[in-house]
Amino acid sequence: MAIAAGIEDLNVYGGSACLDVRELCVHRGLDVARFENLLMREKAVALPCEDPVSFAVNAAKPLLDAMGEAERARIEMVVTCTESGIDFGKSLSTYVHHYLGLGGNCRLFEIKQACYSGTAGLQMAVNFVLSGTSPGAKALVIATDLSRFALADAAAIQEWAYSEPSSGAGAVAMVVGDAPHVLQIDPGAYGNHGFEVMDTCRPGPDTEAGDADLSLMAYLDCCERAYRDYARRVEGADFRSSFAYLCFHTPFGGMVKGAHRHLMRKLYKAPPAEIEADFDRRLGPSLAFGQRVGNTAGGSVFVGLAGLLESAELAGPCRVGMFSYGSGCCSEFFSGVVTPDGQRRLRARGIGAELDRRHRLSLEEYELLLRGEQVIRFGQRDVAIDPGAVPAAWAALQGSGRLVLEGMAGYHRQYRFV
Amino acid sequence: MDRDSILAIVIGQVREVVPDLEAQPISGGDAMADLGINSIERSEIVMNTLEALGLDLPMVQTHGPRNLGELADLLHAKLKRT
Repeated sequence: MAIAAGIEDLNVYGGSACLDVRELCVHRGLDVARFENLLMREKAVALPCEDPVSFAVNAAKPLLDAMGEAERARIEMVVTCTESGIDFGKSLSTYVHHYLGLGGNCRLFEIKQACYSGTAGLQMAVNFVLSGTSPGAKALVIATDLSRFALADAAAIQEWAYSEPSSGAGAVAMVVGDAPHVLQIDPGAYGNHGFEVMDTCRPGPDTEAGDADLSLMAYLDCCERAYRDYARRVEGADFRSSFAYLCFHTPFGGMVKGAHRHLMRKLYKAPPAEIEADFDRRLGPSLAFGQRVGNTAGGSVFVGLAGLLESAELAGPCRVGMFSYGSGCCSEFFSGVVTPDGQRRLRARGIGAELDRRHRLSLEEYELLLRGEQVIRFGQRDVAIDPGAVPAAWAALQGSGRLVLEGMAGYHRQYRFV
Repeated sequence: MDRDSILAIVIGQVREVVPDLEAQPISGGDAMADLGINSIERSEIVMNTLEALGLDLPMVQTHGPRNLGELADLLHAKLKRT
């Protein structure tokens, strides 16, 4: 019998602090009415005591805590997927593996390809399971990213303008194995499209550069071509009828809406009213959590999957089409099956309730964090973090059982659970 | 099709996608961003124009023009090549 493979369990961590982006738009003097078409509400903002490691561990720990000792011992691969790396050599996965208390018989590594990284990690893990080289083994795949840019002056803020409200933070942890309750991957059903383009990049640890138009165009081109490659491989595939729901990489909701419209026009010359209704029905549910964390980069398409399972009403098993895009660029369209059982498991994680518990930053607190004076910089050797930079957020973290960053000692990151 | 007819199609698509600009005179020297058109609307205008011209091009190949006139020039050159 063929092996099933996919996501057994999944959790989203959206940080411990967030900002209302409508307030931010008013504050920056952006056109609020037009802004609302872009479908953003809140974004997660990382505190100085949070980094991609703490985000990853805080996403994964609830999954590990729910597993028995024997099951945990079968995790034989930890893949971190990120464009927010903290070292050129040592991967985030080594810290994650340590703080989760996993066994030594484990492959530990990190994957980078902008926002495509999470899908690359998932496919790596799925193929590990499908290969049958270690029957019953599981992989832990964690996409973790945060945007933290040092904005020195007003000119930098002006340049950032429309991407500031969408730049978020978040981690998605997935246990991948042969009992895929949350998403059973359709084996061999995928399509890719990639080419070299300079649309957005992170040329330094605290900088992001790019061209919004070029990035949007590359995303649209990839969405169409990756889907066409999927359709070439999968007999009888039809974008309109094969997928009950869709989850796309979500820099912000408006971009997903644009890509969906592009595809529906290109493939079917569909009229605007049909496109709008189809978007609301098949893609609307996937935006539930993305609207509350902002762009989570590598994890974003899986934040979409979690949102779908949280907010859609599944009557039975159904197929989901997933589209992942990472600047630079590489993309993939793939699919899998979700069930009411998986939905029940996902809802039991209480992701929405955790997001509700975040500290809501005032604009003064946000701008203090934006200056980044308390944040550990890439390459620093010894430094202690002042945990009280935003006292109310720090107080809210106490007793949460979450991992926080305390500082660096000889380049070694120091963490503790609070 | 000549370049000015293409420019007229581009401007027609601008007016269709962003009806708020009804009272605004628009010419080849205008840049979409300066007219307050956001990135999603800009891509929709380009996509609709390509469709109207029957041009099947990757969107990234339409990147670079600094105003509507330059976009018309680029599309005119692409159309001549097909």
